[in-house]
Amino acid sequence: MIWALLAAHVVVAAAVPAFAQRAGGRASLWLAGAPMAATAIWAWTQLGTTTTTSVGVEWVTGLDLEFAFRVDAMGAMLAVLVSGIGALVCVYASGYFSASAVGVGRFAATLLAFSTAMLGLVWAETVWTLFVFWELTSVTSFLLVGFKNTDPVARTAARRALVITASGGLVLLAGFVLFVDAAGSARITDLTALSGGQATAAGVLVIIAAATKSAQVPFHVWLPGAMAAPTPVSAYLHSATMVKAGVILIALLAPALRDTDAWKPLGLTFGIITIVWGAIGALRHVDAKLILAWGTVSQLGLLVTLLAVGTGKATFAAISILVAHAVFKAALFMVVGDIDVRTGTRDINQLHGLARSMPIAFVVSVLAGASMAGVPPMVGFPAKEAAVEAVLGLSGFDQFIVGLGVLGGSVLTVAYTVRLLLGVFSPAGTGHEPTEVAPRRWAMSGPEIVLGAASLLGFVFLTWMTDVVVRPASVLVQQSSEVYSLIRWPGLKDAFVISCIIIALGVVLGWLLHRRRVLDGPIPRGAYGVDLGIDSIVVLARRVAATVQHGSLPAYLATTVLVLLAAITPFYAEVDFDVLYRWDNATQAALVVLVVAASIAATIIRTRLAAAMVLGAVGFGVAGLFFGQGAPDLVLTQLLVETVIVVGFVVGLGALRRRFPAVSRPWLAWRIIASLCVGLVVAVALAASASDRTGTPPIEELTEGAVNEGGGNNVVNVILTDIRALDTLGEVVVLIVVALGIVALAKIRRDEEASGLDAHPIDESDDERLLTEDVTT
Amino acid sequence: MIASRSPIVRLAIQAASPLAIMIGAFVLFAGHNQPGGGFAAGLLFGAVVVLRTVAGLQRPEHAIGFLAWGGVIVCVCALAPLLWGEPLLNQVVIEGTVPVLGKVKSGSALPFDIGVTLIVVGLILSLLDGLGATDLSQDAQRTSRVRRAEIDVRTGESSGQDDA
Repeated sequence: MIWALLAAHVVVAAAVPAFAQRAGGRASLWLAGAPMAATAIWAWTQLGTTTTTSVGVEWVTGLDLEFAFRVDAMGAMLAVLVSGIGALVCVYASGYFSASAVGVGRFAATLLAFSTAMLGLVWAETVWTLFVFWELTSVTSFLLVGFKNTDPVARTAARRALVITASGGLVLLAGFVLFVDAAGSARITDLTALSGGQATAAGVLVIIAAATKSAQVPFHVWLPGAMAAPTPVSAYLHSATMVKAGVILIALLAPALRDTDAWKPLGLTFGIITIVWGAIGALRHVDAKLILAWGTVSQLGLLVTLLAVGTGKATFAAISILVAHAVFKAALFMVVGDIDVRTGTRDINQLHGLARSMPIAFVVSVLAGASMAGVPPMVGFPAKEAAVEAVLGLSGFDQFIVGLGVLGGSVLTVAYTVRLLLGVFSPAGTGHEPTEVAPRRWAMSGPEIVLGAASLLGFVFLTWMTDVVVRPASVLVQQSSEVYSLIRWPGLKDAFVISCIIIALGVVLGWLLHRRRVLDGPIPRGAYGVDLGIDSIVVLARRVAATVQHGSLPAYLATTVLVLLAAITPFYAEVDFDVLYRWDNATQAALVVLVVAASIAATIIRTRLAAAMVLGAVGFGVAGLFFGQGAPDLVLTQLLVETVIVVGFVVGLGALRRRFPAVSRPWLAWRIIASLCVGLVVAVALAASASDRTGTPPIEELTEGAVNEGGGNNVVNVILTDIRALDTLGEVVVLIVVALGIVALAKIRRDEEASGLDAHPIDESDDERLLTEDVTT
Repeated sequence: MIASRSPIVRLAIQAASPLAIMIGAFVLFAGHNQPGGGFAAGLLFGAVVVLRTVAGLQRPEHAIGFLAWGGVIVCVCALAPLLWGEPLLNQVVIEGTVPVLGKVKSGSALPFDIGVTLIVVGLILSLLDGLGATDLSQDAQRTSRVRRAEIDVRTGESSGQDDA
């Protein structure tokens, strides 16, 4: 089933663009939603499972590389969120995009590809599989964020997100290498608690990688920028998927790395700063979508904090909030997108009185907003209660610092929720007309209603939420969380009193900030700083390339010769003159005379065609020498290569002058020196390699292998196609790349000629151009 | 160029091409037991292509097709054994008796070699493209056609289009 679902994702994603061309963009979104819906339904049936279903294929036997997936309670829960919300987002997007929007098919395919990557991530069984899908989410989210690829803002935001999350990916790779080495296994299902220096380093790297993906301060700068994406993307990436990847990673590896020294302090530092800074950001912005984005940053900080604390209660609270957040944040993003589409703005200063004109959006926002603020009767309330109780369960400095973050963050969360809801929906004050609203689109309202209701239903069916959804998953992260439950009505205990104080303070703060209108959001200095950094790297790279790749052929040759001269210095001493002998038979002497004479002639002859012919003679002479050594394969190849080269010269010479241009004396001297150096290098290298034979020649082994295993008598060819076929594969790939490069360059030149921009016209009258340009000047 | 001046070269290349292609095919198939193989065969075909270019005769125009098919074949040969749980690039040898030819032995190395051949031909085509030889051969074809037309006018009989 796991394979079938993943395969369905891949196949449909590949088919969507073609389907979109026939059936239109909106229909393609429904098609893209189908595999997600199927996955969500199947995963729903697996919720709360106590068994682990795993499948996998071994990829490289010796390296213990396995492409494997597992579905346990955690995998099922996350798949319901990832695929379920994904399917709803597809429906929503079919309403979000107008019928005339272009590129919707591309959008649908990318969204499904992203969903596939995310599904693979939450189901990954080995850390290597997880890593592959981790990187795939980075790449596909880059495409989604930069979907409006004609908009420079979107492009910059996408690049920023990619650079930050992909850098995190590199850190993760290093972390995984250390982790697997320390744990002795790459499997996620059989983790054992690790300790020691290497595990600590792995833990640090994993936390940093998670922080880049889950937008922890200071890596959070990519997340608000990612709001340049279409709202369905934001609703998907920033609720259930992309940003949760880091949190999921921490949860999955917590059983192994929790006891290492740096895990908790580092996680708490990231988490607590992020809670507070994210919430402050949400209070400063006036764009409803950015308010939600910063709110997401804050919530992610909360999740990282709770997971870093790592007690049973805290883990339980973290998993509860993870579920609740996915649901309410998706709903809120959808509402904001709905408002954006129907009113044309997301600025809370310009939106007034939408409660009356957009009743569905209003009700959904209140439900989801209440869940976000942790107000009953929403599922966010017992989740936040659990978090508060987790804080109360701590002691000493931990309690102080975590309490400060969690409780302070909660107050600010309530405040930005109140501010957002008041700003958008409160009746128009004096001097403000209610904002004009376009007609309702059911494709958008439907998913909003589903997700808004889900926040409420989660509270109604709280026992089911606890027993089937949260606890089985939470136990996998921290065994001691099995005793906890989500409590609907806690009674007048400490935690409840604290919750009431939080809500009261938050409402007051939110109302005050609502009254004190801010006209414009702050400038994203951090994001600009990152952009500046990326730009300066690009500039530096250009400068380096311009310095190194200067385009002067003689200078390249000189560099090559100097490097070669330096490289063979250790081998002068290796040459054993005793192994050198004159010849096998006198024919070789004749051939050598021919080769040497032709070589010298090639340097003297002034006519290009004749020089090409003489070079051909050198090549044929060498082929003769090979023949004398009994190497028919080499002879054949050498002859053919020489033939093609000579005839190729003839083709090329048609575009050049008949004779070589004159060469100045100093240049001539330099060229002779360079040529002699090359000759010296080759001679010394050959002599040294012939002198220093220590092992037995592999000829017998190869011959035997060729005949018995390769089934061929031509050892050379069997080596090429069987024994060392991987080398051949690599070589032909190089050939393909080179050939494609040449084709592309030729096409560019033809296009330039066609458009009259020809920078290098090739004709007889133009003396100073072409290959010899640098030599003559 | 040459073709427009020397009908002998032109005719010789035209006559030699089928022979050279046959030899190339032989080199390709014989390569497993005798000198030859994919690279050599690719070079032979490539030499034919280059010569025909010089002579202004018809030849394959685009390198991309050769490169693409060669790449696909090589990759399929490399990856296919994985489907049967064999290591990457594992070779299968097949032996059988075929009428006329007698006992024939071949293996999955052959399609691999064919892929290599195609890639080498593609590389040579792309080099010709890079040298601007496409225009060259078209020019040559045009001139030779004009010349023959002149001859036709003078002798009063039609020689037809035998470029192909």
